Amino acid sequence: MLSVLLQPSSSSPLALAYRPESMPLDQIASQLGANGLPYPLPIHPNLVHLTIGLFVIAIAFDVVGALYPLEKRVFRFLALPITRGGFHDVGWYNLLACCLITFFTVAVGFYEMLTAVPLPGVRSTFGLGSMTTMLWHGVGGVLLLAIITAMTVWRGFQRYAWRRDMGRQVQWLYLAVGVVMFALIGLHGTLGAQMAAEFGVHIAADQLLQAGADLHTALP
Amino acid sequence: MLNLLPPLNDHNLPWMDTIHPIVVHFVIAMALIAFVFDGIGVIWRKPQLFEVSFWNLLFATGAIFVAIIFGQVEAGLASPYGASRDILDIHTTIGWSLAGVLSLLTAWRYVLRNRDPEALPAKFLGAGAVVSGLIVVQMILGDRLIWTYGLHTVKVVAAMREGLI
Repeated sequence: MLSVLLQPSSSSPLALAYRPESMPLDQIASQLGANGLPYPLPIHPNLVHLTIGLFVIAIAFDVVGALYPLEKRVFRFLALPITRGGFHDVGWYNLLACCLITFFTVAVGFYEMLTAVPLPGVRSTFGLGSMTTMLWHGVGGVLLLAIITAMTVWRGFQRYAWRRDMGRQVQWLYLAVGVVMFALIGLHGTLGAQMAAEFGVHIAADQLLQAGADLHTALP
Repeated sequence: MLNLLPPLNDHNLPWMDTIHPIVVHFVIAMALIAFVFDGIGVIWRKPQLFEVSFWNLLFATGAIFVAIIFGQVEAGLASPYGASRDILDIHTTIGWSLAGVLSLLTAWRYVLRNRDPEALPAKFLGAGAVVSGLIVVQMILGDRLIWTYGLHTVKVVAAMREGLI
């Protein structure tokens, strides 16, 4: 049954059943600038600063809070008054802000991916084509948003219920998941960076060069 | 002498991809959120948030020096063309200035926090707003270098090596 459903109608096993003469993007092409957007600079990469910065620092400060007994003496030596609760406050509020902002990061990312025109014939440093890179980055983005949201709920339960009266506000498992997320976010961010620096998505200079324009006259 | 330098890749970099924009995540996110948390802390009377702001601001100040180091190396290898040369100059000037401005702001905050961690004068909030504005301007300039002029992108580097730019 499944093989019947997956069997393509044409003779080539993986060809599209139907290929339109013009892409859906053509319908709004006249409203877009050289960078493929209706505004001069992409928004997603700027929101990404906030998502990554807030997440990494949230986990980092919870690690500092968790290891407080070890570092007490160092801070006393630095003449920097600290409280353990203060570190965990950074861990909680930064993650909460990260979670709220990341919904917009992902939403804007999808808008800008729908209007993306990657340079043809390019293979990334990872050896992937543009479509594969975009699919991984799109699906990965939603997955990361889901994990960040789940971690925020988890962090909230630890802070306000399970570990409310404890000095160490977070479970070791939570910190471990956070560190694994660093690796996932690093990988995910690299895919995003490749979409810009290698596939030229939403970069006016790259798109103009592909069109055969002279950058000295085409750019302001 | 020149052959002692590491070879440059198709991004015109001695390392895989630009590092400056990665380090800059921590300057932008931490400095802007510090201002936001200060504002919320004052409006909703939540002095707990002032502590969160302090640490974020301290981290942003540490990170900007690392961002400048990588920024200078990568700017030196960027081969800017046309108007991007002026933008890179202004971005460099504001970048170094921001290192000073953020250090001063953090030092001021350190003194305020030592005196009374539960209070935040309106003057500091005003200074925070001005510095946040400066950071947004700096972000837009940096954005233009990559998203308009494509510095360090494979396509632009290739065109440069072919002598098209």
